[in-house]
Amino acid sequence: MEETSVKMLKLTIDGIETEAREGETILQVAERLMIDIPTLCHWKFVKPYGACRICTVEIEVHGKTRMVPSCSYKVRDGMVVKTRSEEVIKHRKMLLELMLARHSQVEVVRKLAHEYGVDTTRFEEMPSEQCINCGLCVRVCDEVVGANALTFVKRGTERYVSTPFEGEAESCIACGACAYVCPTGHITVQDIRDRKYVFSELALGPTTPIHIPFAAAIPGIPVIDSHTCIHMQTGGCGICSKVCEPDAIDYEMQDTFEEMEVGSIILATGYKTFDPKRAEQYGYGRLDNVITSLEFEHMSHASGPTGGAFVKADGSEPKSVAILHCIGSRDKNYNEYCSRVCCMYSLKIAHLIREKVPDADIYELYIDMRCPGSGYEEFYNRLLEEGVHFIRGKGVEVSQMPTLATTTPVASNSKLYVKCEDTLLGMPRELPVDMVILSVGLEPAADAEEVARVFKISSKADGFFMEKHPKLAPIDTLSDGIFIAGCAQGPKDIPDSVAQGAAAAAAAMSLIDAGEVALEPITSVVDEEVCTGCKTCLVVCPYGAISFDEEKHVSVINDALCKACGCCVAACPSGAITQRGFDDTQIEAELAALLM
Amino acid sequence: MPKIETAEQVKRFQEHCKSALDRFPIVVSLCNGTACCAMGAKELAAAFEKELAGDESVKFIKSGCHGFCEVGPLVVVRPLDVVYQRVKPDDVPEIVDRSLRHNEVIDRLLYRFGDGGKVFAKEGEIPFYSNQSKVVLALNSLIDPYSIDDYLAYGGYSALARALEMTPDAVLKEITDANLRGRGGGGFDAGRKWNSCRTAAGERRHIVCNADEGDPGAFMDESILEGNPHSVIEGMVIGAWAIGGDDGFIYIRNEYPRALKAFGNALKQAREYGFLGENILSSGLDFDIKVSRGGGAFVCGESSALFRSLEGEVGEPRAKYVHSVERGYRDEPTNLNNVETWANVPHIINRGAEWFRSTGTKDSPGTKVFSLVGKVENTGLIEVPMGITLREIIFDIGGGIKGGKNFKAVQTGGPSGGCLPASSLDLPVDFDVLTRAGSMMGSGGMIVMDEETCVVDVAKYFTDFLIEESCGKCLPCREGLMHMSGILHRITEGKGKPEDLRRLVKLGDAVAAASLCGLGVSAPNPVLSSIRYFEDEYLAHINEHRCPGSVCSALISYHIDPAMCTGCGTCEKVCPVDAIKPVPDEERKDGLLREIDADVCEKCSACKEVCPEEAIVVESPAVTTEHYRENVTEMR
Amino acid sequence: MLAVQEKYNWLPSEALDYVSRRLNVRKPRIYHIATFYKVFSLAPRGKHILQLCMGTACHVRGAKLIADAMARQHGLQFGKTTDDGLFTLERVNCLGACAIGPILVVDGEYKGNMTTNRANAIIKRLKREETGGEGGNA
Repeated sequence: MEETSVKMLKLTIDGIETEAREGETILQVAERLMIDIPTLCHWKFVKPYGACRICTVEIEVHGKTRMVPSCSYKVRDGMVVKTRSEEVIKHRKMLLELMLARHSQVEVVRKLAHEYGVDTTRFEEMPSEQCINCGLCVRVCDEVVGANALTFVKRGTERYVSTPFEGEAESCIACGACAYVCPTGHITVQDIRDRKYVFSELALGPTTPIHIPFAAAIPGIPVIDSHTCIHMQTGGCGICSKVCEPDAIDYEMQDTFEEMEVGSIILATGYKTFDPKRAEQYGYGRLDNVITSLEFEHMSHASGPTGGAFVKADGSEPKSVAILHCIGSRDKNYNEYCSRVCCMYSLKIAHLIREKVPDADIYELYIDMRCPGSGYEEFYNRLLEEGVHFIRGKGVEVSQMPTLATTTPVASNSKLYVKCEDTLLGMPRELPVDMVILSVGLEPAADAEEVARVFKISSKADGFFMEKHPKLAPIDTLSDGIFIAGCAQGPKDIPDSVAQGAAAAAAAMSLIDAGEVALEPITSVVDEEVCTGCKTCLVVCPYGAISFDEEKHVSVINDALCKACGCCVAACPSGAITQRGFDDTQIEAELAALLM
Repeated sequence: MPKIETAEQVKRFQEHCKSALDRFPIVVSLCNGTACCAMGAKELAAAFEKELAGDESVKFIKSGCHGFCEVGPLVVVRPLDVVYQRVKPDDVPEIVDRSLRHNEVIDRLLYRFGDGGKVFAKEGEIPFYSNQSKVVLALNSLIDPYSIDDYLAYGGYSALARALEMTPDAVLKEITDANLRGRGGGGFDAGRKWNSCRTAAGERRHIVCNADEGDPGAFMDESILEGNPHSVIEGMVIGAWAIGGDDGFIYIRNEYPRALKAFGNALKQAREYGFLGENILSSGLDFDIKVSRGGGAFVCGESSALFRSLEGEVGEPRAKYVHSVERGYRDEPTNLNNVETWANVPHIINRGAEWFRSTGTKDSPGTKVFSLVGKVENTGLIEVPMGITLREIIFDIGGGIKGGKNFKAVQTGGPSGGCLPASSLDLPVDFDVLTRAGSMMGSGGMIVMDEETCVVDVAKYFTDFLIEESCGKCLPCREGLMHMSGILHRITEGKGKPEDLRRLVKLGDAVAAASLCGLGVSAPNPVLSSIRYFEDEYLAHINEHRCPGSVCSALISYHIDPAMCTGCGTCEKVCPVDAIKPVPDEERKDGLLREIDADVCEKCSACKEVCPEEAIVVESPAVTTEHYRENVTEMR
Repeated sequence: MLAVQEKYNWLPSEALDYVSRRLNVRKPRIYHIATFYKVFSLAPRGKHILQLCMGTACHVRGAKLIADAMARQHGLQFGKTTDDGLFTLERVNCLGACAIGPILVVDGEYKGNMTTNRANAIIKRLKREETGGEGGNA
């Protein structure tokens, strides 16, 4: 066993007697004892480097006293360490004074020097440099990230950190680890808002590769985003597994499929929002300050990338916002239907903006306001009182330059101009605003078609799942035991979704509660003797009631699902499928009786 | 050439080589060292080759450095045993005719000491040589470094044959008993080092030779590699046998192209003869040596940096709390010794530990090669027994200070060593004594300074050198040295402050205590030791704005001594800035013919170099031209 | 890399790319090495390479005076190539021929016992040779 083979060594640090494993450094032991040793070039996940020498301590072994850097010096048996002896403090002060001469404006240096009573340097001061050459970034990039994009250049006093030929490093994966470890803030990640670097689901800012997918996710366990995790890109890092005490990190874990047997299924697969890139005139993805309503939602959330602050791409506060309704809805070019929820959430957005930026000019550009529902109209009236400008007319175009001759350009290079037809005034208008929010409509989920195929249910023309009967059976489908709820069936707001969900659950419960289902008296049946196993019936069955028994090499009909439509009977080339009560002799007998 | 496979064959072949050599009744050995080459040895060689073409009786050797570089190019004729110095191609026919054909000594080419002083003909008589005891350098003037046969003729590789017949333990014991200490600077016990490497855990063991002789003013290793490369190879193979080495490396600095060539050739020959390669002399030992070239970085002489450089990385030192014998090259056990140490090994095996200990001192036995340079009469490469005094080296061998000036200091150990004053002259030279005196043995550079050298300037020079060479990894060395240099520059510019000295000492102590590698730890030595022994010179700079050595240009002024000046005008011609003008007749006083305008003068010393009368004088602290003119009588 | 340097006299960026690919070593590391060691030059070097030994022995014997004079009179600075691309002055630390210092190496040829005057003469001669060839009708 490896555990037992580790030698334990006795040593004394600042008068405290302690034990340490062989191979540990003085700094590690001191940290355990909560003895503070200052250091500027050490981070526990990279190899000790010993460059700053601030962590120098005094040791005594076999009666000999020496000064050694605690970050890299390994403990020895019987060693006596003094971390704050007079000699140590003297050297530390001298080193800090040296640092202060070159890095007078660097906060960490100033702070540390101040702790040691060093506020000025006796040495010739140079223009303050941010980089203290601690090499943390270079080592992190090499040892932890494995990208090896940074390097030291030159030697001696001319030494500095850079990329090859000072250019853009080919191997940089923009992980930001260097900026993270940099103690002085010398390294900053540029263009963090450039969408290239963004790796959260919304283009508003980075989240860490390890995160809980969304607040209140069940189970509330963090996941690793394999696209941004450094380990999965370069094979390096692995810090999370080092710090995780229960050792719960498993990089090898793969997505798995769970199979279960159930009696009934509720499809509540939701919707996706309209992708406004399809409507180029709104400039989404092209203009910095055009965002979707969902992105606004993410931003305004306290746990969002900006901590709830409402800001433009450059971090400043917008003073005027236009909210454009019906993006992708009620539009023959995209979706003809009304998405039903946009009017109300657009009102909410206006309300939130009013709260965050009380003096902002807020415009709502609508076709008509649709506010049916409990308290909805009242909310609209309240917004009118809050001074939100309502313009009846759909937003037509968003551009960086005014397009109408009548518009007076505003002296700002980051303004957006929203063109619309104000149908109440009967004239075209162009609004200069700082930010545009697109109230995107609801569309069937991306894989709705696939889901419908798997469950053998039908979809409507707009792509949402079709109910058995729009008035009498809005949660049932033509397949028994399969129910639909929420936006999978069509756009609806939260109360409606909840109601339909509850109804579907109740319907499913009624099946479970009965414990058994009454079969249709007339179903189709396969004569196993005759079936050739051609599988023609499997394709034609609209209810997915026929499966194939690989062992017997014959088709099998599930009586609970069979609706006795007769398709398979007609299609079966070998005549192996018949319908109970409607076999050939019976039909012929009936015909004979009729014709007689 | 079939491979030599047994010790017996080595012996037979040695005899064969010897008899081949003995066939020549006359041997002419021309020093082909770097310095002699720069002084025309190449042309000389061509002249000899032309003159001796077809002559079967004369063996002409282009040998390695003879050591006496001061008076090169050197030619030694044997068996006449005469040394000719400063030989020119025109002298060649005369040498061939008179000395070779008629055994006559050509008087005018002999070495003379002092003004028309004593004439020395034989190598053994010249004080420069007679006070030395050559071991490692013994063969330098006798053999052609490009000929393995020559080396064999003088008993080369017999130590290897002998060692391979001994057990590795016995070889190890011999080296340990000899108390051979590393010649690279630290003076670490080689036997102990070998033993730790042998016993260290690891799959492969590496044998490395450090030939990154970065100390400015030192060329011992270069001369050994150029003059007798096989001795280093032999030493390394013996080391591999004793330690159990699997492969060998030699790290040669790129500034030594000639050493690289000579050593590369020697490796090739050794392989052909079977002294390198598989199953060396049927002993079962497989060993070969690879050459690695340095890249011009002093810090790579530091062992951990050297290994990084060998691995193809940047030569940055690492924390060395694990010794390189355990984790060196590729983190595997590695035994690193320098050129001279390896070259000593065959001699110890051949003649025994007892013999080795018979020279030198108790704690530092053996001989040591020094390059004696600077302001000394006889510059060159010397090998002396340990324990010899500095005085003997500088005055007996070195012939005293150039131009009869006064001795001021000697710097040993290169940039990491220290300056020792006249009071230390009688110190015996060994590892421990020098360290105690605030300097160190180093690899053997010995730079002599006379009264016209400024110790502050030298300290500044070394500090600047180290700044340039520091890898910049750790803070104390990178920043500390820079500020030390800043203070020194200020002092030499006459802007020093009284508190500067204390600050230098404190800063130096901090750099020495806190630096990561040997370079940083020893970097303040030149400054600290010079402050220790020459505080008054520092104070003269700071308080009186006077440079006692008349070196620091901000503190000096050039003038013409009217008493010496003959008015020849040579100085006026060479002055690049036209600062020298004749004095108008009406202003002439005390025979002043020409004058240097101190405002224009850039102190380039061009005039001083050319003046045949040595009439150019340097004043410190600097005075104006007018002041000098007014007070010339007193000033003289 | 030493071989590349010898062939081209300096290390062009493309050459480093090649070395990086051949040795399968990431470029930042190569770049550090190229800037760390003094023998490597990342800029084209002059037609004539002058190396002035600044070793201790040469220093004591006045190499600094020569360096100062070269800087003043010919604009030659350590590590720099003159604008006309003719000269590159490099500082070397000891060439191992201390006995005859100071030493100036002109295109690989050692010139011992250098003085400011001799150094001047050498540079002037080289300059003359260069302009003499082309400027015959000037």
